[in-house]
Amino acid sequence: MASVDISGVKKSYGAVAVMHGVDVAIGDGEFVILVGPSGCGKSTLLRMVAGLETVTGGQIAIDGRRVNELEPKDRDIAMVFQNYALYPQMTVAQNMGFALELAGRSKAEIKAEVDKAAEILSLTALLDRKPGQLSGGQRQRVAMGRAIVRHPKVFLFDEPLSNLDAKLRVKMRAEIKALHQRLKSTIIYVTHDQIEAMTMADKIVVMNAGRVEQIGTPLELYDNPANLFVATFMGSPAMNILPAVTQAGAVLVAGVATLPIVVSVPPGTKIAYGIRPDEITIDPESPVKAEVVVVEPTGSETHITARLAGHEITLISKARVALAPGDQIGLSFSPNKHHLFDDATGRRLEASGGMAA
Amino acid sequence: MTLFSQAFRRVGSAKVDPVLVALWISLILLALIWITPFVFIVFTALKSNATVMGASAFMPPTELAFENFAAAWRRGNFSTTAFNGVVITVIKVPLGLFISAMAAYALAKVPMRMNKALFALFLFGTMLPFQVMLAPIFRQVNAFGLINTYPGIILPYLAFGIPYQVFILYGFFSAVPKELSEAARIDGASHFTIFRRIFLPISLPVLSALLILDFVATWNEFAMALVILQDPKMWTLPLGLMSFQSQFSSDYGELNAAIIMTVLPAALVYLMFQRYFVAGLTSGAVKE
Repeated sequence: MASVDISGVKKSYGAVAVMHGVDVAIGDGEFVILVGPSGCGKSTLLRMVAGLETVTGGQIAIDGRRVNELEPKDRDIAMVFQNYALYPQMTVAQNMGFALELAGRSKAEIKAEVDKAAEILSLTALLDRKPGQLSGGQRQRVAMGRAIVRHPKVFLFDEPLSNLDAKLRVKMRAEIKALHQRLKSTIIYVTHDQIEAMTMADKIVVMNAGRVEQIGTPLELYDNPANLFVATFMGSPAMNILPAVTQAGAVLVAGVATLPIVVSVPPGTKIAYGIRPDEITIDPESPVKAEVVVVEPTGSETHITARLAGHEITLISKARVALAPGDQIGLSFSPNKHHLFDDATGRRLEASGGMAA
Repeated sequence: MTLFSQAFRRVGSAKVDPVLVALWISLILLALIWITPFVFIVFTALKSNATVMGASAFMPPTELAFENFAAAWRRGNFSTTAFNGVVITVIKVPLGLFISAMAAYALAKVPMRMNKALFALFLFGTMLPFQVMLAPIFRQVNAFGLINTYPGIILPYLAFGIPYQVFILYGFFSAVPKELSEAARIDGASHFTIFRRIFLPISLPVLSALLILDFVATWNEFAMALVILQDPKMWTLPLGLMSFQSQFSSDYGELNAAIIMTVLPAALVYLMFQRYFVAGLTSGAVKE
């Protein structure tokens, strides 16, 4: 168990800078998820914490101790890779005990640790198998077992569930979360899947193009995205973003809907108006009309894509709806559930007065 | 016969596939052509000289003349040449493979400034035909005073064997996912431990293939041995066989017995190691 302090960390490959000063403070026992699109630097950051990549600038400290120059094995971390990286010629037990064996622990000690980890991960029956004889989910558990036996200060997960099928992914998600609650260990977890991030994390770090966009709890990010990137990245289906213009005491959205929102910017300013799909409802009375483009029933709810004054928007209906492409529907936007962003910088605009979102 | 009849059908099909039938027929024909000289050699080796001269070459021997082997062994001085062959091969082949594997690991997995240039140097080594180097090598070995010695022949063998093996192993090691060595690094393994505990075991199929090829090549090598090993006491089997042939070329029974004794060890090594040829030893390491 330990804290991890990442301060001003930069990374460049030759002249190409890929990370431009990242600061993340991770508390003892926290489950932190780094999330972002491919190429945003989240895996690079994790690999720098692991010691598999050099740090160009800034400092990484584990438990208050600077680790920039330490070898991976001296950092007291364990890592689970996306493709598992199990040693193919060793049995499950040998795979899990390898680190302890290299550390010169006695056979009895290794066996005890391996048995304990196998028990936690229900791998006991598979200890004599080779990785080739295991299913994807079992291999993933062995990879986690290899990490657990070492009792590291920090667990690092690099997209561990990406290679599993959808059903198994949901199951392993719950298993990893349960494991965290049981071991109370510090975990840094990288994923591109915002649902994984939302469901598992204590704290999410949203990254984009080598920068941290926002850090917060899953619901903080969902309810108060700091900018357009976070707003559209977190949540599925993504938040609708519509062009809008401020008026005195109101905002004109997409040129058709006038909503009573008080904004801190002068009237006539162009802004971006965001609203989540589940905050838009079908309202036949509403003067705001849209044309249905696609209807996607998921069973529990229906996702409807509609065209509003030339802009495609998505809404979620809890009720079953009988709609076909081409139908005209009236839309109403939940008041106080909007997110306003500066058109130029993408930064969040706080609505003034009692109308804050 | 179910197994045999299945050979002519596609998996899951009840119909006989004419392409498969044709492939099987050509395979059998090819195998027959391939095996004919060996049958000829074995038959001849087991016939007395009178029978060889008197009967058709492909006639199976009526009385087995095993004495051919004993006579050839004695007259061809096989105990000396076989011993030399064993010493040279048993030292050269594993040592060369070990050096090649370490070099290939370093080139493929240890980040160094000169990796590319060094690998190009090894590649260059594979391009030199050693026949054109025979004279310079002779002078070099002579300058070291190693003519007619084991090191005198083993060192040039290593020099010419390693580049090719490095080339093959480099390709294999490069294809091993980097996460495997990274996981081992995090587990606390040094480069040498990663090499010995992870890379050597998973490259067993490649290593055994190289071992067979190198064993056969070293065992049967002729030109370099002819140049460097001039004392009959230092001769290897091919040299002994050549000398035997020029002395007793008319004694076909014994000559063929000598040929069998020369090639048999190579064939045995092949049979011993070909079981490691199985693919898929790395299966399960990473998800493809």
